Amino acid sequence: MKISTKINILSILRWLILSAALIVVVIPLIYLVINSLKLPKEFLSVPPIIFPTEITFEHFDKAFSGKKTLRALVNSLLVSSITTIITVFFATLSAYGLARIGFNARILGLIIILFLLIRYYPRVTTVIPYFVIMKNLGLLDTIWAIIIGHLGITIPFVTWLMLVIINDLPKEIEESAMIEGASVRQRFIYIIVPITSPGIAASAILTAFLSWNEFLIASSVARRKASVLSMSVASYVTDKGILWGQMAAMSIIMILPMILFALFVQKYLIRGITLGAVKQ
Amino acid sequence: MKNKEWKSYSILISPTVIFVIFLQFYPLAYSFYISFQEWALTSSQIPQGFNYLKNYNDILNDSVFHRAVKNSLIITITSVFFQIVLGVILAYLTIGSTWTIRFIRTILILPMVIAPVAAGTLWRMLFNSRSGLINHLLIKVGIVGPEWLSDQTWAVISVIILDIWQATPFVLLVVVAGISSIPKDFQESASIDGASRFQTFLRIDLPILVPLLLIVFLFRFMDSLLNMDSVYSLTFGGPGYGTYTLTFYIYTLGLRNFNFGDASAASWIFMFFSIIFISLIFYLQKKYEN
Amino acid sequence: MSIKRRSFIKKAGVYGSGLMAANAASMMFTKRASAAKEITTTFMKSGTYDLAAESIENSFEKETGIDLEIITSPWAVLNQNHIADLTTGTGEFDVMSGEFWIASVFNHMLPLDGYVNNSGYGSTIINRLWEPGPSNFFNGKRIGVPHSADAYSIIYRKDIFEKYNIDPNWTTWKEYLYTANQLKNVLKGQDIAPISFAWGAPDQAAAIFLGAYDGMMVNSKGEYELEKDKAIAALNLMMDTANYGPSNAKALSIDESNAVFLDGKAATLICWPSFVRSSADKNSESNVVGKWELGNWPGPGFPMVSAWNLFISKYSSDPDSAWKWIEYHGDSERSKQFMEDFGIGSPHRTTYEDKALLRKHGHDYPGMLSNLSKAKSLPWIFEAYEVFFRNVGELMSGNQSSSETVDIVHEAWSSIKVPAALIETAESQGLKG
Repeated sequence: MKISTKINILSILRWLILSAALIVVVIPLIYLVINSLKLPKEFLSVPPIIFPTEITFEHFDKAFSGKKTLRALVNSLLVSSITTIITVFFATLSAYGLARIGFNARILGLIIILFLLIRYYPRVTTVIPYFVIMKNLGLLDTIWAIIIGHLGITIPFVTWLMLVIINDLPKEIEESAMIEGASVRQRFIYIIVPITSPGIAASAILTAFLSWNEFLIASSVARRKASVLSMSVASYVTDKGILWGQMAAMSIIMILPMILFALFVQKYLIRGITLGAVKQ
Repeated sequence: MKNKEWKSYSILISPTVIFVIFLQFYPLAYSFYISFQEWALTSSQIPQGFNYLKNYNDILNDSVFHRAVKNSLIITITSVFFQIVLGVILAYLTIGSTWTIRFIRTILILPMVIAPVAAGTLWRMLFNSRSGLINHLLIKVGIVGPEWLSDQTWAVISVIILDIWQATPFVLLVVVAGISSIPKDFQESASIDGASRFQTFLRIDLPILVPLLLIVFLFRFMDSLLNMDSVYSLTFGGPGYGTYTLTFYIYTLGLRNFNFGDASAASWIFMFFSIIFISLIFYLQKKYEN
Repeated sequence: MSIKRRSFIKKAGVYGSGLMAANAASMMFTKRASAAKEITTTFMKSGTYDLAAESIENSFEKETGIDLEIITSPWAVLNQNHIADLTTGTGEFDVMSGEFWIASVFNHMLPLDGYVNNSGYGSTIINRLWEPGPSNFFNGKRIGVPHSADAYSIIYRKDIFEKYNIDPNWTTWKEYLYTANQLKNVLKGQDIAPISFAWGAPDQAAAIFLGAYDGMMVNSKGEYELEKDKAIAALNLMMDTANYGPSNAKALSIDESNAVFLDGKAATLICWPSFVRSSADKNSESNVVGKWELGNWPGPGFPMVSAWNLFISKYSSDPDSAWKWIEYHGDSERSKQFMEDFGIGSPHRTTYEDKALLRKHGHDYPGMLSNLSKAKSLPWIFEAYEVFFRNVGELMSGNQSSSETVDIVHEAWSSIKVPAALIETAESQGLKG
């Protein structure tokens, strides 16, 4: 009797905490949706008007008037997907190379630290030199400027992640193939890739997130043709006040694809992070 | 290099190496070089010559810099602490593969995928002391909500809350992954031996989780320190210097004042800290493994 | 996923990337090939200046045959892009919109005296706005022409003042605060604050300070400096105004402080008129239609002016076309229209003297003209301004005294080099010691 009551209390506690967590996550998002449908004059009322007396689609309307938002959406999609494809491709290859080339553990450790240092550097100071490089290459205001900028961050990171994963694979996996005369290329395609596919998936997902949400590099090299959604959201904070409704609408336009994407891939993300994180 | 196939491996590595050298090492090295020079882009288009350690000296003696470091440390240490604790608790509460549990876990991950810029503006609406949702709900239970964004202490708390909201899902994800990989038989044999759940946690789960948590701690700490988008949209570093973080300091130097000499020096002071911190974490990891 | 499929996807990815790279490369080349007259202009993304420019884009292109590209960005990004563009000699923008904030790059702008003299541009512009300061100059030469102007103002509830027989004709901040005190007494028990202002918006703090301060801003050596006693007095006065605001005065942002007045919960509002005027006249957006008037900006200081100028970059490949756009955009009739449609403050005298408009705007146009005629432009670069407003934030949070604030600000300013253009601005506006 005692044990089952104890279990029941624990169970109730568990569901209470989970419910609280769900509320904390979901309510802000619902609030965002509500705000995107609120009349402009109801934003600053005191006492606050939480539920709109009248639903208006004017914010979404304004957001999609003209081609700007559509262009930003398309650009964001292009930048994220291209960055992800290129990153995963090159980083996985290099990770394999680095893992197998025969560096001793010390040097490998040093390389790992180096890659992490590159990731965790205040990017502000590199922005203007990067701008100059892009200008000299004639790539200003093209999505390629943004993509290349992102690659600079994502490739080292994914290389690090895949390096750690591949490094922990038992060497025997490839030995039998090597004995049979399989080349580096064959071993990579037919052995390494399938085994590390969860890690590859996780890398792809994390890269997509990073690229989609990135603001600093994008706003420094994009003007009109290459503007992306992160710039659109930020643009509603003007020096003379905030256009709340439009900002909410634009935020939803920016968040929604990522939420849908996350919902579809969360399974792979967990599987992938398992490989990389546990076997450090 | 004892490997006979090193040529093929080199080919694999080279694109990345070239790329990383051009796009990362070169700007990094260049900024290191500039950090010892006097250069404000608005005064002249080229660096003005070496002033040796003057930039570093100016920054390290700048009271605003001290304030920024203090703000950053308070915000980062507090929020990372809570993220890890909450992340681990929530991870344990969401283990399992029933539909409900997986659904809940999926929802809990959502804040992580929202752009910091968007999250900052969303919480700015929530924290608005008069027309925002939070104070509105607090009044309903009889509490008069504080000035979340215009009181210095509460502004710091707001930034911490935002950081926790956005980043706990990441910890949750990694810990769930880690726990899921613990073979069930380990845990079962332990409970057969009479160990309580908590003892199992200490003896079996924790050893596997510690290296994991060290890495998560590293990532979260550095990400939190470097995060600027959300502070920018939530409080713009204010009120006064209330939420003026280190990254804000560097951003202002570099992209508002265009003082590259100083901004580079400040970045390298940050880098110096990163090197020590990252090496420390790796050292701890190695030590723990042995 | 099968192995073959995965490697196919990888191959497709590489191939696709290659295609896109080729595409990008071809785009690079076609960009240089266009020969038509084409200019690029920038505006701040604000829901006003940008929309106004875009509304005349087609008619401009039709009338002049010049292809126009309008680029809009938020304030911080706009300035960042301008400075990055000019200091690296990129020359992507032909016409740039900006003000004294980018004074450090004024040396990259084309002198406009030739164009101005030949076209008679400026004959209808309010005198004060045509002088150095609101108009941007470098080395004594004009490099910018203002296309909009907004001067900080105080608008007040005529009905309340008449009801309680209070005099709205203050000339100094001391008198204004005396009036606020009177209001506080007569409005006791009502949910109406004597003053509403964005005390919580960090970068607006300077507005009241500059109205109450009549000392120098740049000293005789060309460094940023304030006269300490006068500055302390002005800061204290600014702090005092918050005592007459609503209960949450120190947290009010610009739109919130405006909303307080529009809701009818304030007797006076210190504001940028361009944000409030049109809403205040619409029944759907305000409770004070027909009850307000734009009053006098008290001294002994000056009202801050936001006068956006248009510049031509030295690196522009077609300055003549660039000037055509400036002329077209800044035409006085057009400015009048922009004011009606988008609320943008017109810099032209003729707008405020237009008889037809005065019938509708007898309550705000005269006041605006008067304020614009004594407005001054700040000689601060952003770095100096930020030090000021963040320290005022510290002052308002109770972390330091007014005296300490002035000292800290001076200390931080001592390492800032004042651009030559702004020393000129200070001198010509009587702000130099």
